[in-house]
Amino acid sequence: MILLCGIPTETPIAMVREELDGLGVPYAVFNQRHFSATELEFAISGNRVTGRITIDTQDYRLEDICGVYTRLMDDQVLPELKDEPAGSPRRRYCRALHDALMRWCEIMPGRVVNRTGPMGSNSSKPYQAQLIREQGFAIPETLVTNDPDLVLQFRAKHKRIIYKSISGVRSIVQTLEDEDRERLAQIRWCPTQFQEFVEGTNVRVHTVGTEVFATAITTEAADYRYAHRAGKEVELKAFDLPGELANKCVRLARALELPFAGIDLKITPDNRVYCFEVNPSPAFSYYESNTGQPIARAVARYLAGETQY
Amino acid sequence: MWLVLCPSNDEAALWAYEGLKARQIAPLELVSAEELACSLRWEHRVSADGASVAITLADRRTINSGAVRGIVNRLSYIPQEHLAMASPADREYAAQELMAFYMSWLYAMPQPVLNRPTAQGLSGAWRHISEWVWLAGKAGLPTLPYRQSGFDEIDEGHLRGGFVSAETPVNTVIVIDGHVVGESPPPDIAASCKRLAGLAGAGLLGIQLVAGPESSWTFAGATPLPDLRLGGEALLDVMAAALQGGGR
Repeated sequence: MILLCGIPTETPIAMVREELDGLGVPYAVFNQRHFSATELEFAISGNRVTGRITIDTQDYRLEDICGVYTRLMDDQVLPELKDEPAGSPRRRYCRALHDALMRWCEIMPGRVVNRTGPMGSNSSKPYQAQLIREQGFAIPETLVTNDPDLVLQFRAKHKRIIYKSISGVRSIVQTLEDEDRERLAQIRWCPTQFQEFVEGTNVRVHTVGTEVFATAITTEAADYRYAHRAGKEVELKAFDLPGELANKCVRLARALELPFAGIDLKITPDNRVYCFEVNPSPAFSYYESNTGQPIARAVARYLAGETQY
Repeated sequence: MWLVLCPSNDEAALWAYEGLKARQIAPLELVSAEELACSLRWEHRVSADGASVAITLADRRTINSGAVRGIVNRLSYIPQEHLAMASPADREYAAQELMAFYMSWLYAMPQPVLNRPTAQGLSGAWRHISEWVWLAGKAGLPTLPYRQSGFDEIDEGHLRGGFVSAETPVNTVIVIDGHVVGESPPPDIAASCKRLAGLAGAGLLGIQLVAGPESSWTFAGATPLPDLRLGGEALLDVMAAALQGGGR
């Protein structure tokens, strides 16, 4: 039995569900928006974790669940709670239910895509970059500082530099332009992250267990995710990743304890491979819908225990 | 240079600082979280060659990662008084940015660091009590049955790693650098405590145990930020040795 958690109409959840249907693997769906029709309890005794989840009056033993796919949105902003006052019984139940689900996911013995703890490395980009470097990847030269003079020296050295958030919040990559010099003094209040701009082809690598799907992204935008906002075109194509590089990506994801990962690479014209970051909750549907790469099927097969990790 | 990083009111850390000084750990700098928050200059670099940190504090003291030989890290939060004038949205953003920044520069510091930052906490992983109970069971410690459901009120105490009421008398064992100090548990319990610290990836871990009849000790909670004073002089001896023996 597989448990899917999130909003069933969200594209990645819907795509994995369709693949589970195709594989004939039994599953249950915890729809966050129906939280009031869901109950969950678990117990730990010694090394054994037991419990049950009830979804719309249907009971499932937690011991029978061998895989969980979570795409949970912040339960506190669910539309169903919009008019609920802070601290209302309904709000408290929703929070406690999600808390219990998350706690169980952290310790359940089956496959979880992905557990919350390991996903945390992405909450600090330079921290994660150090973990990435430890796995043998080249990483772009990065400066985090509150000293405008250091930024200007860094720019003089690299010619083109970008800035982006250190955390995952407001994380849009932008090039530091001449006109930005005037407001550089503002960084004195909060250290800011700058990075050398690396020329090359963006390649998003999705690793699912030991399966690897690489997609090349061609665009003139500094951040391809927001290319349309910048009025730029984006083209996505399946990319043939060399075997050793594919293995390296699998090792990186495993080191970060992420069975499913979205690894952002850039391959330079002289074939140097830089790794920028590892997304622990990749919205793979964007890539699959543009390339036809069977990522959802790989996730479904992984959850069902049909592939290795 | 060695560092003790802690909030200015962390009496356990101040005690450790004095104890380490008495053990000739020198030069030893005490740097408070409040002083770090008001640093004049930060320079943190990450590249293919490694990572480095250079900090200039308001009193002109400088911390350069290349000169640091070991750290007692008791940072668990970042003071934000200096952000008070920002709008609520910007203040929240800055708080997230600072937490991410501290996680990175602390990780870039040379070992030994007691404790190294993780994605779950600046001074080691903060875990929910359910995860501690599960890990304690894996480590071989006797545990009380744990239950949680959607009908429970969320207990903030559980987030702090505690399992029993404040009134229940507990014994605290501290595992530091593979040594058990503090209370003296039976040998099998001491061995399990070491295993728990290993499973938790913590160089320094406080473990609370309830002593029952016939030497039966039961797991009651764990924290990467124990009251170091409970480890006594033995803790300071091990800490001093650990800080002098490092190298990543």
